This record gives sequence, structure tokens and C-alpha cells, in this order.
Amino acid sequence: MSTATSAQVETETRASDSSLILSVRDVRKTYKLGRVKVPVLHGVDLDVRRGEWVTILGASGSGKSTLLHLMGGLDRPDKVEGRRGSLVFEGDELTKQSKRALDRYRADDIGFVFQFYHLLPELSVLQNVCVGSMILHGRLGYMRHRAETQKRAGELLERFGLGHRLKHRPAELSGGERQRVAIARALINGPSLLLADEPTGNLDLKTGASILDAMIEYRERAGLTMVMVTHDERIAERADRVIRLEDGRVVEEPPRAG
Amino acid sequence: MADGCLWKGIDSAVYQALLTRKYLTRKIMPMLAMVAVMLSVATILVTWSVMGGFLKTLIESGRTLVGDVSVVWPNVGFGYYDELIEDLEADPMVAAATPSIETFGLIQLPDDRIELVSIKGVEPGSYSDVTGFADTLWWKPIEEPTPKDRKREDLRLDDQNRALMEQVFANGLAMQRESPDSGEVEPAGVLGVEVTGLNYRTKWGGYEPWSANRARPDGGVDRVDSFMPRDGSVGLTVLSLDSEGRPIDPKRLTMPIANEFQSGIYEVDQRTILVPLGVLQRNLRMDAAQRVELVKDDENPFAVEVDPNTGEIRPKMKEIVGEDPARVTAVLIKAADGVTPEKLQERVREIYAVFAARHKGEVPSAFDMERQVKTWKDLNRTMISAVEKETGLVLFIFGIVSFTTVFLVLAIFWSMASEKTKDIGILRALGASTGGIAWLWIRYGAAIGLVGAALGTAVGYLIVRDINAIHDWIGETTGLVIWDPQQYYFIEIPSDVDPSKALIVFVVGVLTCVLGALLPAWHSARMDPVKALRFE
Ligand SMILES: Nc1ncnc2c1ncn2[C@@H]1O[C@H](COP(=O)(O)OP(=O)(O)OP(=O)(O)O)[C@@H](O)[C@H]1O
Ligand SMILES: [Mg+2]
Repeated sequence: MSTATSAQVETETRASDSSLILSVRDVRKTYKLGRVKVPVLHGVDLDVRRGEWVTILGASGSGKSTLLHLMGGLDRPDKVEGRRGSLVFEGDELTKQSKRALDRYRADDIGFVFQFYHLLPELSVLQNVCVGSMILHGRLGYMRHRAETQKRAGELLERFGLGHRLKHRPAELSGGERQRVAIARALINGPSLLLADEPTGNLDLKTGASILDAMIEYRERAGLTMVMVTHDERIAERADRVIRLEDGRVVEEPPRAG
Repeated sequence: MADGCLWKGIDSAVYQALLTRKYLTRKIMPMLAMVAVMLSVATILVTWSVMGGFLKTLIESGRTLVGDVSVVWPNVGFGYYDELIEDLEADPMVAAATPSIETFGLIQLPDDRIELVSIKGVEPGSYSDVTGFADTLWWKPIEEPTPKDRKREDLRLDDQNRALMEQVFANGLAMQRESPDSGEVEPAGVLGVEVTGLNYRTKWGGYEPWSANRARPDGGVDRVDSFMPRDGSVGLTVLSLDSEGRPIDPKRLTMPIANEFQSGIYEVDQRTILVPLGVLQRNLRMDAAQRVELVKDDENPFAVEVDPNTGEIRPKMKEIVGEDPARVTAVLIKAADGVTPEKLQERVREIYAVFAARHKGEVPSAFDMERQVKTWKDLNRTMISAVEKETGLVLFIFGIVSFTTVFLVLAIFWSMASEKTKDIGILRALGASTGGIAWLWIRYGAAIGLVGAALGTAVGYLIVRDINAIHDWIGETTGLVIWDPQQYYFIEIPSDVDPSKALIVFVVGVLTCVLGALLPAWHSARMDPVKALRFE
């Protein structure tokens, strides 16, 4: 009883801190494979401030993708001894939201870039980018937003250097090009938080760098908050803040000068 | 999660339409599902139409020789029928009416076989007005061959036979024939075409007279020419009933045959003979007769006389001479255009009531006759209900067939939905709701169902429309004859598609697909998006 009250108080204080866009507290996740339990996150605490660029480093299998899925409302943290931990986005407790509210959250508030592109193979580049808007607006809504959405998709793809490939299908694109489509898709609804899971992981250095430049440029223009998972220390260096996942917990790196 | 119900959350969005279109055009699986639906829809429509057409023809044939409504008073019959017919024909709902007697008797065929037959006494002229009698007469000149008679083998087509056919047709219509011996015109009967067994049913569904052998007591055999309408006759034995309905004496008569009829119902054509009404009335003692009654002479109550039969003394009697009217067992009535048999039935009851009131005590009362006024459907009730049972059975089998299709579609959709698991994960990650995903698959199922069922209906329609041509073609190329006019009573396969049947089959086809899509839809929608994303 007293724990619940203190958690509530804490939630309220965090909610009142308007500089925080997302606040993660004591989030746990254990996968069960039959009888075998695979503990992945053991109580993660993390605050993301508005407009900030946070990079998450960690060994393979340390649970970076898992954490990102939790932050994106794709999955729910475990309940351990009656407590579920908490994820607060813009003052709303995600763990208490209905399924539909979480759907809405994913469609409207965040953009997701997956580790492995995950484009829809049957759709063209342009349609892949617009799909997020179709989902967000429903049938009638999309009819009204159609022209606007397509214009915005065109602009995004132009910015990522794919303006001339709108009609192509994902299978006809290189890995780097596909990732840029995936990023454009994540940004189509103008999210306030971008969750990117190793957006340059599968790419060579030069391609990776150019994609990163495009993202940074967009972030600065749009004031986007960005949480990015990476293996790459050199990418991490450019971020505002770097955290490390070790043994299922967050270890904060000391802020670097420069 | 508490909100497991996905139907309340169905959202319609553009991505569903887009993906439905893409999934439909880019994959082999939906093609297979569509073909499966198309084939089963077409099969069901073809079977149902042919079966239904067959049954309908059968039922309609039951109407051919009985008119729309009959007033039936079996065995003893009723008198003053001419008056009743006049009353009936004066009514605008009645097109025509005709008297008839129906009884049973024995028939002796040219080869001496004796069989039980239904004997109908009719007045040929008015009987033709009320029923399709004239059309059922088989032996008549025809200009065009019957549908399957490609080689024009029908002897009715032959110019050489033309004069004979014309004569025989006229004889049939008038129910009379010139005696080959005396040259006198005498009343003649019309036999069901299958009664004698001497009309050979050809491959193309017509008849050829066949000569028969008659065994002689000495061990020899006589050839019997069997073209009955030329000079054949049959022996009929009938049993007359007195006015109380008791059998009196059997009567044997020889009936020349004027023509033969085919009504379309084998049972009728195989055991019915039509004879002129007057002949039957006479032999059944149903014709008009003087009635002589002995009553006690009231003038002198004490007078006596000797009974001429017994020789005993009895009170003096006197004779009263009265008239017993001719009787028939039925009056057949044809409805005026646009009058249903049921409406006519009501009207006939009313007309009969007026008639019965006029002849109180002389004809069955209106109350007794109430249930004896029957439509042609009532008269063929047993056959119609058998046919209805068969239709029910057919529909039941269709149900099972459709059910198989549901599983087929389900299997195909299930595999398609699994193949698209990753897409579902992606859509969910981008914010698509469970209801939205479910709707995607239901839409998809409906789309496949619509296309498949529409194609199936079209294909089914085309097949049924040209089923006889297709059947002939199969017969010519493979030698396989499924619908053999020699065996079946209808020469051609029914080729009408009932639009309401087509609509039902189409709708059921679509629903089948939607039903088949429901389970995969539900499964897909409930899937954990993170797992779906990890799906390889
Ligand atoms: N559905 C699952 N069932 C069981 N175990 C899982 C499942 N998903 C993830 N895991 C396990 O959880 C751990 C963390 O996985 P996760 O994908 O978050 O790691 P990661 O840090 O993103 O790794 P990488 O850098 O290789 O992408 C792994 O050991 C993985 O095997
Ligand atoms: Mg990962």
C-alpha cells in the first residue's frame, strides 16, 4: 500500500517535470522458453529529456531491442511481486493504457526504426512510407490527408536521397536504401520520439555515416527526441548522452566534453 | 489483456484495402483459393440448376393431363355435371371445364398380356381445352426433329408417313377411328405411349413401333404389328358400380386405339388409357337412364296383386318413371390467365355451393365437396412431396460440399496469414489495432470470395446454359453419355438458371470465404507483435 502511494507520488513528480518526454522506472523483462527463464532486463531506470539524443550501447543479447520495444509500447514489462515498473510518456503511464491507446501511441507519438528494415515487400517505397499515416487516420481521415501525406513522404524520401525511387519495391533496393525508407516511414506522422534500433548496423561505414547525417539534420530541424541503439562507439560519441546496458541494468556514461 | 474482444475494435483503414489488393495480385495462394471457390460455386450452381430444372419439369408434367383444379367425387360420381360446367364456364376466373371419369380396369395388350390400368373417360374436344392433351399426342406430323435426333431418324418427320400421321393425329384429337373391316367410324382410345411396351425408345429419346411376338397354345408364335394407331386395339375390362357404390358386373369391351400420348411422367404414360367419356359411362352404367320405381298405390290401400318375380301376394304397387342423370367422377377446370390454382379453388367451391343448393339431395352437398375440390398440386401431392424431399437431400449434400470449401479456404488462408506474419508484426508496430488486422483478413477473404464466387456463378451459368451442347461434345469426343435419353424420361438436360438460386449460391460462396478467413484473422490479430516481428 505504502509502496503504491510512493510510486504514485513519484509518477506525479516526474509528470510535472515537463522537460522529460519519457521516463522508465524499474522495468523488468524475462523471457520464458518452456521451463527455462531467460532474464533480460532487471530493473531499468532511464529518463529521456525532450529534444535529447540518447544512445544505448550494449553487448549483443544484452536486451537493447527488448528495451526499445517496451519504450515503444509494443510489449509490456513483467509484473514482479505485484509491481510492474513504470513507463511514463508525456505524463501518461503506458503500462496502464488500454490496447487501443497503445496502438494510438505507436501510430501517433513515436516513430520506430527496426534493426532489420522490416518493410512491407508488396508495397512500393512511397506506399511503405505512407502506411503509418493510413493506420493513424483511418479510412475517411486518410482520404483528407492523402495529398498532404504523399507530399510529406516525397519530401522525406527526397531528403534521404530516394526521391527518384518512389515506385520501386523494397526488393529492388540496396540495404542502405531500404533503411532510409524505414526511417522515412518512422517519421511520416511527425512523431515526437524516434526509437531507432541500430539503424546503421548492417551498413558499411560510409553509407551508415550518410544516413546518420540525414537523421541528425532532420532531428535538429524538427526538434525530435531520439533514442538510438548502436554497437558503434563512433556513433555514440556524437550523441548528447550515452547509456550502457549491462547485466540488465542501465549504466550511465559520464558526459564527455566536446 | 482484458480486452480480448476484437470485433468491437474493427477499424476500417486504407492500408487494408491497399494490402488486400497487393496480396491478391502478387501471390499464387489467393489464386488457388479463388479457383477453389470458383469451382465449388460453379459445381453447386450447375448441380442445383439441373436437378432443380429436372424436378420442376417433373412437377409441371404432373399438371399436363389434370387441368388446374378438379372437382372430384370418386366411384359413384355425381350427376348434372353439364349444369355445373355451364356455371363454371360462366365465371371469368374459369377458362374452360370438362367432365371426366376415372376408374381402374384390366387391359389386354396385343401380345395378350393383361395389366392393371387407370382408365380415364374424357370428351376429347373440351378435354383439350382444359389440359395439354393435344400436345401430348405423340403420333403427329412434325417439321423439326426433336433435339437429340441429329440424323432425322424420327419417322414422324418422314414425308412418306405424312398422310398417315395427319390421319392418326386427327383421330387422336377426336378419339375415333375408322374400322379397318367395316369402314365405320367408331370411338377409339388414346394409350399412354409406354403401356404396350411395343414402342421402342430410341437413343435420341423418341419412339419406334416394334413388332411383338404372341405365343400360341400350339407352341408357335404370331408376329403382331404394333403400330397401334393404325389397326391395333386393346381389350378393356371394367367393373361398374351401382349408385350405392357396390360392384355389379364386369364388362369387357374392345377398344380401338386412335393415338398414343406422352405426358412426361413415366408412371402415367405406362399405365393410363384415355377413352371417350360416353363409352365409359355406358359400360360403367353411369349414363342417363330411366329409373323405374315401384311404390305402394295409395288410391286403394287394400288392393293386392301377385309379385311377378316371387309369385307371392303383395299390396298393389304402381310404377313411377324417373330420369337418372348421367354421372362423372370429376370435372376438370382450367384457370383463366393470371388466376392461381388456389384462387380458382376458392371460387370453384363457391360456384359448387350454389349448384349443390339447386340440386339438394341429388348431388353431394357443398359441405361434403369442400375437400374434394383439389388443385393439380393436391392431386400430385405424393409425387411433389417426394420431389421436395429429393431437393432437400440435394441441398443437404450441398451444405456438406460448402463446408468442405470452408475448410479448404481456411487452410489456404491460414498458410497465407502465417506467411504474412512479419507484415502483421510491422503493421502492429506502426500502430495498427488488432481489429484492424482482423478486418484486413476478413476483407481479404471477402475479396477472394467475391471474385471467386462471381467467376463461379458466371462459369456455372454458362455451363448450365450450354449444358446440352457440352454434354454432346463430351459424348462425341469421349463416348461418355451421362444423360441418356433412352434411360431418362426427359430428352434434354434442363438448362435454366434460376436467378434466385444463382444469387443464393453466390452469397453462400462469399460467406464461405469470409467464414474461412475468420479463424486466421482472429489468430493473426491476437499475435504478439514482437514475436511477429521476430518471425523468420
Ligand atoms: N521472444 C523471445 N523469447 C526468448 N528469448 C528472447 C526473445 N526475445 C529476445 N530474447 C532473448 O533476450 C535477449 C535480449 O534480446 P535482444 O534482442 O533485446 O538483444 P539485443 O541487445 O537487441 O541484441 P542485438 O545487439 O544482437 O540486437 C537475448 O538473449 C534473446 O535471446
Ligand atoms: Mg537488437
